[in-house]
Amino acid sequence: MIRRGGAPGPQTLIGIGLLAVAGVIIVGALDLPSSAGYSGVGPNFLPWVVGIALLLCGVLVLWQARTGGYRHMEEPTGADHGYWPGFGWMSAGLLANAALITTIGFILSCSLCFALAVRGLRHADRHGGVAPVRGELAQTVRDLLIGMAIAAPVYWMFTKLLAINLPGLTSTGWI
Amino acid sequence: MDLWNQLLLGFATAATPINLLWCFVGCAVGTAVGVLPGIGPAVAVAMLLPITTKVDATASMIFFAGIYYGAMYGGSTTSILLNTPGETGSMITAMEGNKMAKSGRAGAALATSAVGSFIAGTIATVLVTMFAPLLADFAVKLGPPEYFMLMVLAFTTVSAVLGRSTLRGLVALFVGLAAGLIGMDQISGQARYTAGVPELLDGIEIVLVAVGLFAVAEALYAVLYEGGPPETQNKLSRVHMSRSDWRRSWPAWLRGTAIGFPFGTIPAGGSEIPTFLSYAAEKKFAKGENLDEFGTRGAIEGVAGPEAANNAAITATLIPLLTLGIPTSNTAAILLGAFQNYGIQPGPQLFTTSADLVWALIASLYIGNVMLLILNLPLVGLWVKLLKIPKPYLYAGILIFATVGVYGMRQSAFDLVLLYAIGLVGVVMRRYDFPTAPVVVGMILGPLAEAQMRNALSMGEGSWLIFVERPMSATLLAVVLAVLVLPRILRRFSASSSSATAKRRKAT
Repeated sequence: MIRRGGAPGPQTLIGIGLLAVAGVIIVGALDLPSSAGYSGVGPNFLPWVVGIALLLCGVLVLWQARTGGYRHMEEPTGADHGYWPGFGWMSAGLLANAALITTIGFILSCSLCFALAVRGLRHADRHGGVAPVRGELAQTVRDLLIGMAIAAPVYWMFTKLLAINLPGLTSTGWI
Repeated sequence: MDLWNQLLLGFATAATPINLLWCFVGCAVGTAVGVLPGIGPAVAVAMLLPITTKVDATASMIFFAGIYYGAMYGGSTTSILLNTPGETGSMITAMEGNKMAKSGRAGAALATSAVGSFIAGTIATVLVTMFAPLLADFAVKLGPPEYFMLMVLAFTTVSAVLGRSTLRGLVALFVGLAAGLIGMDQISGQARYTAGVPELLDGIEIVLVAVGLFAVAEALYAVLYEGGPPETQNKLSRVHMSRSDWRRSWPAWLRGTAIGFPFGTIPAGGSEIPTFLSYAAEKKFAKGENLDEFGTRGAIEGVAGPEAANNAAITATLIPLLTLGIPTSNTAAILLGAFQNYGIQPGPQLFTTSADLVWALIASLYIGNVMLLILNLPLVGLWVKLLKIPKPYLYAGILIFATVGVYGMRQSAFDLVLLYAIGLVGVVMRRYDFPTAPVVVGMILGPLAEAQMRNALSMGEGSWLIFVERPMSATLLAVVLAVLVLPRILRRFSASSSSATAKRRKAT
């Protein structure tokens, strides 16, 4: 039986991912010293415990995924299938933010992230049935300005009021 | 009398204009965060953790605590008007509250939840004032073996007992513990899993994980799966309670407080269970016409009880947090992280070493509850306007705040890439029903538990028997086992008895 959000494919992948994490932990634990000093166990003890526990969890998750899917699943909320174009827009926004924040500064970089994410979310809404068809370009410019209107006060509050460093386009602390 | 003096001193600190301002801003931010769906107190506190580098400890703890319990006030507003809970703790409120709003009684529902939150919050604060110092006195006597067992108890309840699947709870816990391994070993100073990156010696920032798992994952999940027309909002009626509303609310508030408070003090993972129990209790106590209102027109008791229960539970989580250093909810775990940023380790010594801070914090709870009552009763119309923010702007705005929190903490653009990656993990966890609380608790409490365990073992000269030789530690171990085993036996028992009846039915 394939349930919503419960297709065995991704579930299997999660199990494999867990096994990979367990592998990394165990390989790392091999290199750690076991010198215990006065206590019975050294710094490699917990890594071994966590590694083996994750290994067991991974095997069990994999087994559940291959034998009818995870047990006692809560039906996930929302649509049956993901709306990937919207996801792409938001991902682009987040990654662009990471790439650009040190060069174009917090305010501009965050506004760009905001506008791209809004675009994705708007398309997701339209995809779900709402259809406010408007000029795409004008809308994006508006979103950019709204993003700036949110990001700028946040930036000033942090840099001016709390004296916490955030990157700017200039070193004035205003933009 | 000593208690009284310390509380008065606490009020003197908390009532300075600057601390009052922090308290007020915290309560206002908390209410806003509670009202807005998709963002909770845990992530709000996490995003604002960078201020710990600049603001002094007392002011920022007052601020964070304000966000924490303020969110419980705000959460009910969304539950009642939108039928989407603003917070997990107000899920139950959505059931009756929304029915009341649909039959034109939104105002009464909002009033009973605000007043109930105030009464429960204040009673719970009085109880914290009285019992936290007592527990701290007692906790001084606990040694590493007992602490370790208490932490194991916290791990067990948060991962294996709550939630639908023990396996998925344990997966989340061990992923959190694995993340907590990264960095310098507390006892020997050995670097673990740092891959030679110097930034990783201090471990992974909790801000990064909390903001990624809660905020970024929430936004990504919304764009992927939750597109569609906005929900219809119920009309706000005049915020007013009739005489009969008062008469029906009073006992429910008190019962809710009595149910919620004990749950907050034990490691049972927040406010969902007590709100549910309180709802069940109110339904049981209701009679005649009032009972008929449950699930139809909306019964006011079904709002009053759970709302009181969640506020009492939230306030009570401060007891284990302050006296034992053990967080029992997501937000409490992040508050523990905030203390650690100041180099303060909550625990029984906190009441002597940082008495000023603790008592100012407790005094601020009294003040904050009064502020919240005013913010949420006469000014509720203001917060309702927040619900008009279009969803795209809300989620995209959350991303801006997520950036501030993560970047402000360590000034590293690479952290923003990690943030995105953790957000993706959060989406997968949400879609496949893995709980997130064990990750956060495991990551924060893991290194502490490891240190306690190794200290205990060196006390016992390397022997594991130390955990059963000491009576307190043995008792706690028994509790851990009971918590693990009992629910399973009960479930199996009820399953086998129901299948037996089914068989009998088939036979006849």
